[in-house]
Amino acid sequence: MLEIDSLSIQLGEFSFTDLNLKVNDGEYCIILGPTGAGKTILLETIAGIHYPKNGRILLNGKDITQTPPEKRGIGMVYQDYMLFPHMTVAENIGFGLKERGVSKKEWHAAVRDIAKTFGISHLLERYPKTLSGGEQQRTAIARSLLLRPSVLLLDEPLSALDTITRERLRDELKAIHKETGMTILHITHHFEDIYALANRVVVMREGTIVQEGTPDMIMHHPVSDFIANFTGMENIFTGDAVVTQSGIVEIHIGTTIIRTVTELTGRVHAGIRPEDMIISTEPFTSSAQNSFFGVVTEIIDSGVYSKIVVEAGIILTAVLTRQSIQRLGITFGSMVWLTFKATSVHVFSE
Amino acid sequence: MIKRRLPTFFQAVCIGISLIVVLVLIAVFLGLILFSSPETLVVCLFSEEIWYAIRLSVITAVISTLLCLIIAVPVAYSMVRFKFFGKQWVNVLLNLPLSLPPLVAGVALLIFLSPATSPAGQFLSSMGIYVVYTSAAIVIAQVFVNAPYMVRIARSTFSMISPRYEHVARTLGCSEVGAFRKITLPMAKNGLIGGLVITWSKAMGEFGAVLMLAGAISMKTETLPIALFLNMSTGDLDMAIAAALILLIISGTALILFEYFGKEHGDVYA
Repeated sequence: MLEIDSLSIQLGEFSFTDLNLKVNDGEYCIILGPTGAGKTILLETIAGIHYPKNGRILLNGKDITQTPPEKRGIGMVYQDYMLFPHMTVAENIGFGLKERGVSKKEWHAAVRDIAKTFGISHLLERYPKTLSGGEQQRTAIARSLLLRPSVLLLDEPLSALDTITRERLRDELKAIHKETGMTILHITHHFEDIYALANRVVVMREGTIVQEGTPDMIMHHPVSDFIANFTGMENIFTGDAVVTQSGIVEIHIGTTIIRTVTELTGRVHAGIRPEDMIISTEPFTSSAQNSFFGVVTEIIDSGVYSKIVVEAGIILTAVLTRQSIQRLGITFGSMVWLTFKATSVHVFSE
Repeated sequence: MIKRRLPTFFQAVCIGISLIVVLVLIAVFLGLILFSSPETLVVCLFSEEIWYAIRLSVITAVISTLLCLIIAVPVAYSMVRFKFFGKQWVNVLLNLPLSLPPLVAGVALLIFLSPATSPAGQFLSSMGIYVVYTSAAIVIAQVFVNAPYMVRIARSTFSMISPRYEHVARTLGCSEVGAFRKITLPMAKNGLIGGLVITWSKAMGEFGAVLMLAGAISMKTETLPIALFLNMSTGDLDMAIAAALILLIISGTALILFEYFGKEHGDVYA
């Protein structure tokens, strides 16, 4: 178990005081929060890069607050990979093992093994700058996993990648977690990561933890407007993704079909941000792939913006300005069209 | 076909001035290069005096450049990575020699190291060490004037390398020193080599501080710039120009090398 016990830190302008967090063995803990919330500093403090002013960090009951990073057995992966540019992929992956002074034979075998797991065997002799983002991040993850750390810290590991690569790597992270049972702390901005990966979610703001709980608790019972706005995902459905003959992916939710772009198939979750919906009273012709006709069952007024809930086979929520509501003449019981692009549908596996 | 637009008046003026500057530079350097006949130049280049000056300059510049490196790496690294009390003042003092005329640096060094004027000089002479007006003085003067440049270059090089590389290395089992030696230093290699080239070239040409501390003693503390100075004052123009040409070639080559290493560096780690 990783325990953070009333931790306080002061780094230039930034500080947090009296932070407490417990992460159980084998938990996949997602840390959410806006820029400047202190998420990276928290991970770096756990890794031993920064020493706290007060408080303790315990790993399996042992106080590691003053232990240098190289003796903690905690792995770290950053968004921008941080592969050593003067070393090949193999040398990068095997860096930690070389530090431990294993035999050459053992080293080669271990590097080859893990490269195979990550599908990067063909890249071993290349230099990092010649790799794609996905390949670089696979290398970075392989590099930290080779040492079998007891805790793995991931600082937005998927944020710099394109959608498809992100989906694949997310699945790989999930598989790794399942196989190794490693404790993982993962910072993200993507709500898909929460659903796909997390056992537990921690929401941070300005150096404090504002909510923690299961993904469902955070997404459906946010304790504050801030968290609700931050997670921002209202339209989440579960369905079956099927590839059609034309190559488009359809998600079947009961009798409703949503078209999207994804590589995932089978049982999936799909989410659409309310602000990605276009509301119209006439059929809306565009290249957007999804259009639903339904009845307004609720209008929730919150200042400049209002939310409308539409029953259209599935229940969809959209956001629009109060002015637009007046202009379109939308009231309770109005019939409206909701339109959104295939690329606005965020798909993630269960 | 795309029609090329004529430059505006403002653009034309700016570009025109740049071209004029370049032409003046070329004319000035050509004047120097073409002044002596090639035969005279060869004779001068192989004269005992110029040969001595080249040797003395090369040796002192190599030693002083290495000393600059030894000083600059830890200083620059600590300025980039660490926080410590009085860091701002260290910064100001380190930059002072950059704006200080080398003659002033030379006089200050002379007073500081001379047994007649300072306790430090007295201490050295009591140990039997006399630096003033020796080749050691040349090295000291060069280091004093050039180390801040080397610190600057090393500093900008280190500041371009994200500390996160070291963080990752630490989590992979590297000690603090190990991470510096195995990750940061190799990544800074090109920047540091570029800095060494420029520092060496500046050391080859250092005149003011060397003149003050080591004097202009023919065939003793006669570096290339001192040879240029001595021969000009005795009216031996050909010899002076031979020394000047060597210095010109050295600076030109150094600049090209610096650009080369600088580019490589930016390309890889930006």
